[in-house]
Amino acid sequence: MEGEKENVVQAVVIMDLFNNNLNPICTENPVGLLPVAGVPLIDYVLESLVAGGVGEVILFSCQEPTKVREHIKKCKQDMVPWTFSLDVQILSSETCETMGDVMREIDAAGLVRGYFILLGVNTITNVNFAALLDQHKQICKKDKGAAMTLVYKEVAWDHPLISNNKSVFLAADGNTKKILLYNTYKPKCKDTTVSLPLESVLHHSEVKLHHNLLDTNIALCSPSVPPLFSDNFDFQNRNDFIHGILINEDILASSLYYTKLKGNQYASAVTNWKTYHIISLDILHRWVHPLSIESGSFYQNSYTFMGKHNYIKTSSVLSRSCTLQEDVLIGSNTQISDMASLTKTIIGNNSHIGKNVIIQGSHIMNNVVIKDNCKITNSFIDCDCIIDENSILDGVIIGSGAKVNEDTKLKGNIIEKQQVNRTEKGLSKSTSESGTEWENESSGDGDEEFIGFEKQWTDSESCYSSDSSAESSLADSPVPDDTNIFLQEVIDSLARGYEEKLKCDYLILEINSSRYAYNIQLHEVNFYVVRAILSLPTLVDSKNVLVTVRDVFKFFHPVLVNYIKTKSSILDCLRAVEDSCLKNDWLNGKAGQIIHLLYNADVVDEDSLLAWYEDLKTDESEIAQQKSLVNFFEWLNEASEESEESE
Amino acid sequence: MSPLEGNLQDLDEKSIENIVKFVSDIRTGKLQGSNKIAVATVTLLEQIITDASNTSALFLVNAVRATGRRITKALPHELIAANMVRRVLRAIRDEQRALANQSSEYSGDSLQRLVLAAPSRRATLPSHHDLREPIRDHIAELLGELEASTSAICGQAKEHIHTDELILTYGSSNLVEKFLKASGTNKPKLLLVEGPQHSESAAMATRLSSQGVSVTLVNGAAVGALMPRVNKVVIGVRSTLAGGAVLGEAGLLAVTTAARHYSVPVVVLSPLYKLSPLHSCDHTHFNALAPPYTAMPYMSGESALTQVYAPMCDFVPPDHVTLFITNLGGSSPSYIYRLLSELYDPNDYQI
Repeated sequence: MEGEKENVVQAVVIMDLFNNNLNPICTENPVGLLPVAGVPLIDYVLESLVAGGVGEVILFSCQEPTKVREHIKKCKQDMVPWTFSLDVQILSSETCETMGDVMREIDAAGLVRGYFILLGVNTITNVNFAALLDQHKQICKKDKGAAMTLVYKEVAWDHPLISNNKSVFLAADGNTKKILLYNTYKPKCKDTTVSLPLESVLHHSEVKLHHNLLDTNIALCSPSVPPLFSDNFDFQNRNDFIHGILINEDILASSLYYTKLKGNQYASAVTNWKTYHIISLDILHRWVHPLSIESGSFYQNSYTFMGKHNYIKTSSVLSRSCTLQEDVLIGSNTQISDMASLTKTIIGNNSHIGKNVIIQGSHIMNNVVIKDNCKITNSFIDCDCIIDENSILDGVIIGSGAKVNEDTKLKGNIIEKQQVNRTEKGLSKSTSESGTEWENESSGDGDEEFIGFEKQWTDSESCYSSDSSAESSLADSPVPDDTNIFLQEVIDSLARGYEEKLKCDYLILEINSSRYAYNIQLHEVNFYVVRAILSLPTLVDSKNVLVTVRDVFKFFHPVLVNYIKTKSSILDCLRAVEDSCLKNDWLNGKAGQIIHLLYNADVVDEDSLLAWYEDLKTDESEIAQQKSLVNFFEWLNEASEESEESE
Repeated sequence: MSPLEGNLQDLDEKSIENIVKFVSDIRTGKLQGSNKIAVATVTLLEQIITDASNTSALFLVNAVRATGRRITKALPHELIAANMVRRVLRAIRDEQRALANQSSEYSGDSLQRLVLAAPSRRATLPSHHDLREPIRDHIAELLGELEASTSAICGQAKEHIHTDELILTYGSSNLVEKFLKASGTNKPKLLLVEGPQHSESAAMATRLSSQGVSVTLVNGAAVGALMPRVNKVVIGVRSTLAGGAVLGEAGLLAVTTAARHYSVPVVVLSPLYKLSPLHSCDHTHFNALAPPYTAMPYMSGESALTQVYAPMCDFVPPDHVTLFITNLGGSSPSYIYRLLSELYDPNDYQI
């Protein structure tokens, strides 16, 4: 019996995305139950796992685990095909807030017996998991330290699934497919350079660079992966893991590999509303064969194919004069009235579409009533909504149970049930934020290309909305909040240290521990330490700022030397000075003197100073014109010339 | 909805489980090849008949029909599975009829009784006999036929393929491959036209040429130019329809149209289990789309926006076919209806 069990392929499905890209629809409901083309995501995942030869699945659910449990129970009652050959275990923990926490829980529970497949609930695929896992085992035979093989789908770089996602740049050994470098970029990033360490080119006979890989959110893992997460408590998500392993390859004795899916194997992950729309259409276009809308909910085929990739349930009622242009899916008992026109749209069950309604590129869930003469473009309307007459919605996300009054015009809003009838609020914030606007990629030739959903739906209340409109996931990069807290903590500990004349070694320890607590990158630490020193409360109150600054620098010299060692850290330091001089009014006009003090203390060197000054000039920074700074650099130039002459 | 589609009794859980497994095996591609699907269907039906709680003919017919309905609903394009359901139904009905005739005292005595007994096709007579044993014999016979069908067809190869003839075939087909190999010393020259799965066509060409058949692999576009030189077109099909029409791999129609234009005989290899009593008016089978990666890869940015139509099969009208070769020998398209009435009971045309 034991032997049999060991041969069963195990998969771990993480039921949450740990970000708010799909809000507000997925705030109350688990992501797994979000329907894509009429079928919940979890059904696709389980079905693809069965088809891919997986025998045992661990579902790890952090959000509303009871709803997931109910869904699985109902599937078993309905005798959905996967229930016969799949052993499903549901774990839940409400305290987990990142993927790292989930992996640590799984490690603690000891449920994973050996090699396993790790995937998110947002993956839609038709790959053969068992074959991929065997491939990973082969790699492990050659390299004992192989921890994870990442699965990618190769597509063209201009594919919408790449341009609307965080794109991946990957450098790998051409022969062994071992990953050497891994970078992720924000969508529509204008970064044009790539830096590749020389060793990685010198030590490998062939290096492959990929920029056209689509992350499928599937990873083939060795038994060592959960313990690695437990050992490194700062790994929060898969990217942290990848970066951590690549940086500390020797220490952790682990390495990463990648594999590309071949030919007709399809895999993609729903990460935001835009990819949601693209993947829905891919499913209608049968790219995910044998997974399709017919197989998802039940094995019996109850859709009728109408040509032009239109599918309707036989129990839906269509008016004779309505037009389904292309890529339309209509659920059961839905009624479409006269002269309605639908394009690239998915409509759930029991909905009612009124006369002369035009719907393009939208997703409409169950029990929605859309009254006459509405025009809906690129929107998502959740269950039980009512849209009154003559409304024009463009790029709107409407939470369940909401009502939109007649003659409303909305563009790029999020409407939730609490905000019923709050159309004014919606209008006022409509165009101010780039994050909430629907992007219409129509390229001039008519209304063919309604791609749909914009990246992220930011809240006007949230503090990071202004600068993070392009961030696709919060967990991936430190939220500015965290860095602010970090800065405050560093200031506090330095102030205390200065007052009580503590040893600088202790202060360095304290700063380092805060750094790990808030997951701050090294270069940010350099920046914030200098920033903190220049923001000490003693400076604010002091009458002669420069004298105090000199004392402070003298006292904290060991701290500065500890952090400011390399060229890049010096630049961080100078940038911090620039930032402080701009933001702290007690340092106003004293940039030159402060730099001079740092120069005297041997914290910064001449070359970096000159490079920084050039940067300032080209950036036309305010402080470049400051008298003190100009004087300082004049002095510096003179001093250097003198020294040259004397030699 | 036709009047024949009344409600049937529900199957028990174990049977449903078996059906679901069968369907998902076919869907996921674990079960491939028409012959294997046919055998698996018959085995599934045999299992359901064996497990049946009630052994009356009515009950068995209903159980088999319910199974057939579930299968056809889940797999509307697998006509072969439906054909096998019809064959088994026919077996039950035959058995019931024989039993009815036997049980009546003067069976076979009076002409009147014979006349009256013959049309009593509906298996509605109540019976207390266990029909399962004789039905199992029928099924064993059917399985034997399925097993022997390939060799029966290949046995006729020498009659149709002669030395130095130029034969053209389309796409890869196990049956055509075996048929050509079976031609033995009459080594033909073969033109193999690439079907939608290029790699499979190439693999078939390699296998044949290693057997000593001279094979030329040509592109579909070259068919028109090559057709005048061809002596015979030999093709395998997905299914043969009631009127003598044929459902074949996508692209087949272009080949047969060219053949008809140049009056080249088209020989269709169709084992009996591929004979379907459906007519071509049922459009769900022709509009079905294959996954689009058979036509283009999911690579370019356009592939997410374009609509790719890759039809699953082509419909070839009966006048394009010269001869069908079945297990029983050659027959013309106009004779298909006779074969159908021998194989199936007219009540079961619609499951």
